[in-house]
Amino acid sequence: MALAFDEYGRPFIILKEQEQKSRLRGLEAQKANISAGKAVARILRTSLGPKGMDKMLQSPDGDVTITNDGATILEQMDVDNQIAKLMVELSRSQDYEIGDGTTGVVVMAGALLEQAEKLLERGIHPIRIAEGYEMASRIAVEHLEHISQKFEFTVGNIEPLVQTCMTTLSSKIVNRCKRMLAEIAVKAVLAVADLERKDVNLDLIKVEGKVGGKLEDTELVYGITVDKDMSHPQMPKRIEDAKIAILTCPFEPPKPKTKHKVDIDTVEKFQTLRQQERKYFDDMVQKCKDVGATLVICQWGFDDEANHLLMHRNLPAVRWVGGVELELIAIATGARIVPRFQELTPEKLGRAGLVREKSFGTTKDRMLYIEQCANSRAVTVFIRGGNKMMIEETKRSLHDALCVARNLIRNNSIVYGGGSAEISCSIAVEAAADKYPGVEQYAIRSFAEALDSIPMALAENSGLQPINTLTAVKSQQIKENNPYCGIDCNDVGTNNMQQQNVFETLIGKQQQILLATQVVKMILKIDDVIAPSDY
Amino acid sequence: MAAMLQPQIILLKEGTDTSQGKAQVVSNINACTAVADAVRTTLGPRGMDKLIHDDKGNTTISNDGATIMKLLDIVHPAAKILVDIAKSQDSEVGDGTTTVVLLAGEFLKEAKPFIEDGVHSQNLIRSYRIASYLAIDKIKELAVSIEGKSLEEKKTLLAKCAATTLSSKLIGGEKEFFASMVVDAVMAIGSDDRLNLIGIKKVPGGNMRDSFLVNGVAFKKTFSYAGFEQQPKKFLNPKILLLNIELELKSEKENAEIRLSDPLQYQSIVDAEWNIIYNKLDKCVQSGAKIVLSRLAIGDLATQYFADRDIFCAGRVMEEDLQRVAAATGGTVQTSVNNIIDEVLGSCKVFEERQVGNERFNIFSGCPSGQTATIVLRGGADQFIEEAERSLHDAIMIVRRALKNSTVVAGGGAIDMEISRYLRQHARAIAGKSQLFINSYAKALEVIPRQLCDNAGFDATDILNKLRQKHASGQGANYGVDINTGGIADSFANFVWEPAVVKINAMNAATEAACLILSVDETVKNPKSESAQGEAAANAMAGRGRGAAFRGRGGRGMRRR
Repeated sequence: MALAFDEYGRPFIILKEQEQKSRLRGLEAQKANISAGKAVARILRTSLGPKGMDKMLQSPDGDVTITNDGATILEQMDVDNQIAKLMVELSRSQDYEIGDGTTGVVVMAGALLEQAEKLLERGIHPIRIAEGYEMASRIAVEHLEHISQKFEFTVGNIEPLVQTCMTTLSSKIVNRCKRMLAEIAVKAVLAVADLERKDVNLDLIKVEGKVGGKLEDTELVYGITVDKDMSHPQMPKRIEDAKIAILTCPFEPPKPKTKHKVDIDTVEKFQTLRQQERKYFDDMVQKCKDVGATLVICQWGFDDEANHLLMHRNLPAVRWVGGVELELIAIATGARIVPRFQELTPEKLGRAGLVREKSFGTTKDRMLYIEQCANSRAVTVFIRGGNKMMIEETKRSLHDALCVARNLIRNNSIVYGGGSAEISCSIAVEAAADKYPGVEQYAIRSFAEALDSIPMALAENSGLQPINTLTAVKSQQIKENNPYCGIDCNDVGTNNMQQQNVFETLIGKQQQILLATQVVKMILKIDDVIAPSDY
Repeated sequence: MAAMLQPQIILLKEGTDTSQGKAQVVSNINACTAVADAVRTTLGPRGMDKLIHDDKGNTTISNDGATIMKLLDIVHPAAKILVDIAKSQDSEVGDGTTTVVLLAGEFLKEAKPFIEDGVHSQNLIRSYRIASYLAIDKIKELAVSIEGKSLEEKKTLLAKCAATTLSSKLIGGEKEFFASMVVDAVMAIGSDDRLNLIGIKKVPGGNMRDSFLVNGVAFKKTFSYAGFEQQPKKFLNPKILLLNIELELKSEKENAEIRLSDPLQYQSIVDAEWNIIYNKLDKCVQSGAKIVLSRLAIGDLATQYFADRDIFCAGRVMEEDLQRVAAATGGTVQTSVNNIIDEVLGSCKVFEERQVGNERFNIFSGCPSGQTATIVLRGGADQFIEEAERSLHDAIMIVRRALKNSTVVAGGGAIDMEISRYLRQHARAIAGKSQLFINSYAKALEVIPRQLCDNAGFDATDILNKLRQKHASGQGANYGVDINTGGIADSFANFVWEPAVVKINAMNAATEAACLILSVDETVKNPKSESAQGEAAANAMAGRGRGAAFRGRGGRGMRRR
């Protein structure tokens, strides 16, 4: 930190512990910040697109994650630099809002920073650059709206939705079964969607995974799976037309919450207490039987006596089911959660067409499937895969696909992928740049150049000649006036994305551009970094 | 050097650091200038931000003078005064915190050559005071009232003020959007002075255009128990019951103990407890309320009970949120469920649980008393939203201020130039030293337009000369720096407006601070008390300790010589 000196040459102590603080100011600070941001973007660049590579990350306690999801990579990287942290948050907020395109947004921001550096070297004021970027982003977003297409889907015709989800999944490790997973994602979202309010509560979709089997065994269960088994091994493994009682009280004598003490001074009293207890058990089971329940799901445990009794009375039961699952089961089966036995009534029972216990492979793992529920507003996606990392990555990929489907239900506009939207925007922004007087024009032009970096990265990752491919596609777009030309990553033979069926959501794309611009503006605006100089 | 031979008289405790005289005044001025330099670059629409992170790893990116000053952690005693005036400006008017620090710094800088030439500080102080009175009178005279306009007109005018404040912030790109939002929010709470009725909620994700204003209350979904999802999530014209009690199955008294002699009575105790809670719940239902909110927990039993009866409930609602709901819906918070009458129930037009980003939000809109507003802020990064919140806070304060004393002045350095001109003119009529001092005060005021130009990368001298000429001509009182073209323009016509009270307060506070620092000619710094020293050592900052000790010794040694 620069010190001020007084007349006697003594340094001022103005700030607390000022010798310990480092300070960067002016252009130097901007340069340092930009290079930090660029470094982060460079890491993610190779993960973009269908031919993008994965990253392997090892956490401090040895857990290994293999992923291609931008937000996850950055999260696990545990970056220390403040600017790099901003980039992490950038991708996280894309993840929160849209769920997809987390890599693209960081690459975009990196490209913008790279361009800004060049402009700074020419001596352009950083805020003018930021303002130019902002104008350009507005042009781009408007242009996106212009080239977007609405597409209609109904519950009967889900094909368009599936296609879009497939685009998302194609860049993931699971692209082998993208068709199947996309269908699962779309069906799951449609099952829980409130089409009228255009609201989708993703909490109602449970994603479960279990190691073993193969990816193709992944299935969508219209109902709930619970990672529990029947409380007694001899209980029936399959119940049809089950009437389910959902209890939040244990199968044991109720206890008052107030501190209590039972004085027992005679043998008789002990006997009555004993009898009382047994009667409780008896009553409870009887109660369940009386209302017609054929399956009891209990939030708490029950001791062996109750277990035996239930077995004896031929009443299958599941114990220690968590609160979240309990709620999902209640929603799916239309049951009411019952807090005590006295309140059990036939109306409060839930209905499920089939409840079965399924065991997997040679292990003793069993899971309970509750299917054909009265109300299928809660669904479960059950993922199988060769190893844990694979399942985790599938979960993340599926999350992306679910989000895409949700976004389409909210807003059914799409743009075409494969970099075509970016190229088209780049052309539009470039053309618009000339209309703006002043320094901003340069910034707008640079923005156009930065937009090119996404198709460029796509081409690079696909092993194509980046410059050749990009220029060819760009000229084709202008020549044919066709904004749907993109990079042919999979070597299908056509670069018309409309024919390739590569879609992305409009809001996702818009969000990417806006967020990237926002963060770049923030980084450019900083001209003073005061930090403890420990690192 | 007669002092050399005199024996030293020890007056103060060992380790006390004293310095005095002219040198001390100059030294203080230097320190303050150094601090003012730190915030200098944040002024104006082309001002830059500071990234400050502390040793705990918290990062703040800010453009707000008061926030930066606070985070700089200044220990120099004189420079601390600047922190205080920035804070007071922040709490008094909310905006102009950078301006006030900059002005104070500049006043001191102008005073420094006079002090070095041997002018007595009191002379300076007196002249500065006079100058500030004159300046404030002039501001009042120049201010334009927006009183008596229609509501619509007033709204657009207020939005202009808010936009001027916001233009220097990170969210400047969307200033119109936020300015109108702020004005709507302030209008909603009316003349009520409780600022906490405007809630600002931060949700990471999305872009800033996704921010929205709820004409009512919004808060994040609270922790919920099983059964919550079975409750309806949307109501039209619901009645709302606000509670401050726990709705949970639990022991009624903490220390009570029940003794049972007959095991058969066991059930009755259990039943009694259940009845207590069921009675409570039943009363809630009986009241006819469709939404039950409580500051304390609403347990799983109650959640399921309400779900069975199509009632929405939320427990552990934050105190301030509950207060806002009460104010908005016209309900009152109950501490008991007995005797709930219709009057204590609130109501609103629409209640809805909605997805905002990654969170679900409970939103009450269309409230009858309408005295609350909630701004839900969205943005790409945490720091971004934090800064947006600070900026909005400034804008809200400005709008409220402008609403109260509804006079505005031209911004963009125009008012500063005009006052500077006026003071120079006035100074010529004064005989004596005061002329010089008032002139220097006038010169100091020019720092605002100069800094605006510097930050924007324009030639400050050139523009300042243009402005001086324009103002001297007598018709250009509203001319200020045009940040877009690098020339000068009529700020008032361009709607660069600031509430007059901001300027008045800034002028006052800066002059006060400058005078205060000028009047100090001796600092006595006591050695750190034992506990503070221990703390310093614990902070592992041996360097600082040594530095101070060295300085102390050096100082004394010098005097001995």
